[in-house]
Amino acid sequence: MSYKVTNTLLYLDKVSVGYPYRDGNGKEQINLILKDVSLVEKDIIRDGFDSTGQIVAFIGRSGRGKSTLFKALTGLIKPTSGKVLITDMSTKAVDDAKEVGEGDVGFVDQKYTLFRHKTIYQIFQYALKNSTLSKADKESLINKYLSDWGLEEHKDKFSCELSGGQRQRTAIIEQMLTSKHFMVLDEPFSGLDVGNIEKVKLAFNRISNDDELNTIIFSTHDIPLAVELADSIYIIGHPEGVTDYSTIVKHYDLKQMGLAWTPYGEGHRALVKQIKEVVLNS
Amino acid sequence: MKIFKPFEELKSINRSTILSGWLIMLISFWVACSFGETHLFPTPSQVLAGFKSLWEAGLVVHIGSSLWLCTKAVLISVFISMVLAYASSIPAVKPTGTFITKLRYLPLTGLAFYIAILVSDARWIQVWVLVAFMTTFLTTSLIAMIKDIPEVEFEHAKTLGMNRWEILWEIVIKGRIDYVIELVRQNLAMVWMVLVTVESILAAAGGLGFLIKNNDKLGDSGKVIALQIIIVIIGLTLDFLLTKIRKLIFRYSNF
Repeated sequence: MSYKVTNTLLYLDKVSVGYPYRDGNGKEQINLILKDVSLVEKDIIRDGFDSTGQIVAFIGRSGRGKSTLFKALTGLIKPTSGKVLITDMSTKAVDDAKEVGEGDVGFVDQKYTLFRHKTIYQIFQYALKNSTLSKADKESLINKYLSDWGLEEHKDKFSCELSGGQRQRTAIIEQMLTSKHFMVLDEPFSGLDVGNIEKVKLAFNRISNDDELNTIIFSTHDIPLAVELADSIYIIGHPEGVTDYSTIVKHYDLKQMGLAWTPYGEGHRALVKQIKEVVLNS
Repeated sequence: MKIFKPFEELKSINRSTILSGWLIMLISFWVACSFGETHLFPTPSQVLAGFKSLWEAGLVVHIGSSLWLCTKAVLISVFISMVLAYASSIPAVKPTGTFITKLRYLPLTGLAFYIAILVSDARWIQVWVLVAFMTTFLTTSLIAMIKDIPEVEFEHAKTLGMNRWEILWEIVIKGRIDYVIELVRQNLAMVWMVLVTVESILAAAGGLGFLIKNNDKLGDSGKVIALQIIIVIIGLTLDFLLTKIRKLIFRYSNF
């Protein structure tokens, strides 16, 4: 499938993240979780498609710093060194970048955290509070999302009254309504049944087709699912001979490999095997 | 036997039987301890007579007086505690809240002395002693409640681009208002317990505390036990009502 890469959307330049601690002598030390993580993700334009969002997967064993990386990506923690840059959507200039800050990147955590004291409808209203849309337009936008994502009959329910799948969809829409093009999802498939996994896949498609700049970044332990959905896969783990920090040990560009946006086949299965090997050794 | 196995689920009839058994044992113990030369408790008939006599002497007025005193104290201390606890999320003000929580080790007598210097009206001395007592405990509970809010809730708010004041308002104040009712319920039990001591400061204002102290002095143990039972029943009713109100107003409050 022919495509071209254009502007840089996400740029990580030698990002290291560590937490301070005091050693036995009372001296402050840094417990390094991630070291020198660098990556570039660019806007993809596919011939014959109005919009193609980017889907980036992170795979790695437990305790390899995926969640820490996601916190740095979403501006929730400052890297100890290095920079996380994203496209500055507030300017019209091409390739205008800014350092990521709180609220620039949407984040759906593993628990699908929502406001406990608001109904789904109120959650969406609150997400649109800074929008310049008129009241009527906001209402119609919320109703469109509710109906498209199968949440219409649950709009007056509180988060504690929703199923896991409903919570997840609500959390995704909430982040989308705050007009973010970047969305980070920490293990969005964990604990979901087959039906709900299909719904999340549909959600990914919807987000991706919604806007050219939309970029989904997710982590998973399900390698076949990552290979099926993503157009770019990063393996995060310990580099050879190192056990005290993690970094990106391998990157697979499925677009270049001709595996992105194609039906799951032999090539995908071969890649799954390769990835499994890399993950086990990192 | 299921009823002697830990964590066994029982049918409601079995639960009722167990409860009835314990009640019968309690009443039997009471009756057994109320006879003889050196009896521990007054007999049930003495307590019943105590109830009757208290009722005729205007028990309702005294209950009203105690409840009104308690209500005033609770409302004031809830307001002060909320301000102190919420403000403790601001680094510059945090030491104030922490200091107030340490005051819960200060004896009530010591507190009453300083309040008596500052407040001239005896009824308001009672109110402020209760306020001082409840505020220290309620502030401690509220600060602990804020500390227990999961980090992911704050992170969720930050990813929505909310500023720190919006986070305080939405996550801590609005998002946890039902917890405040629950903490008031827990702390109310302590206030209700010290009411007797506080009401004895001013006999003229009446109240259940005054009645119990007065009858204790006169050695009327029937009335004393009757008053103890009344105080427990009112306390449990308040407890029950606050839980009901919380669940009624806040549908999401499912703890």
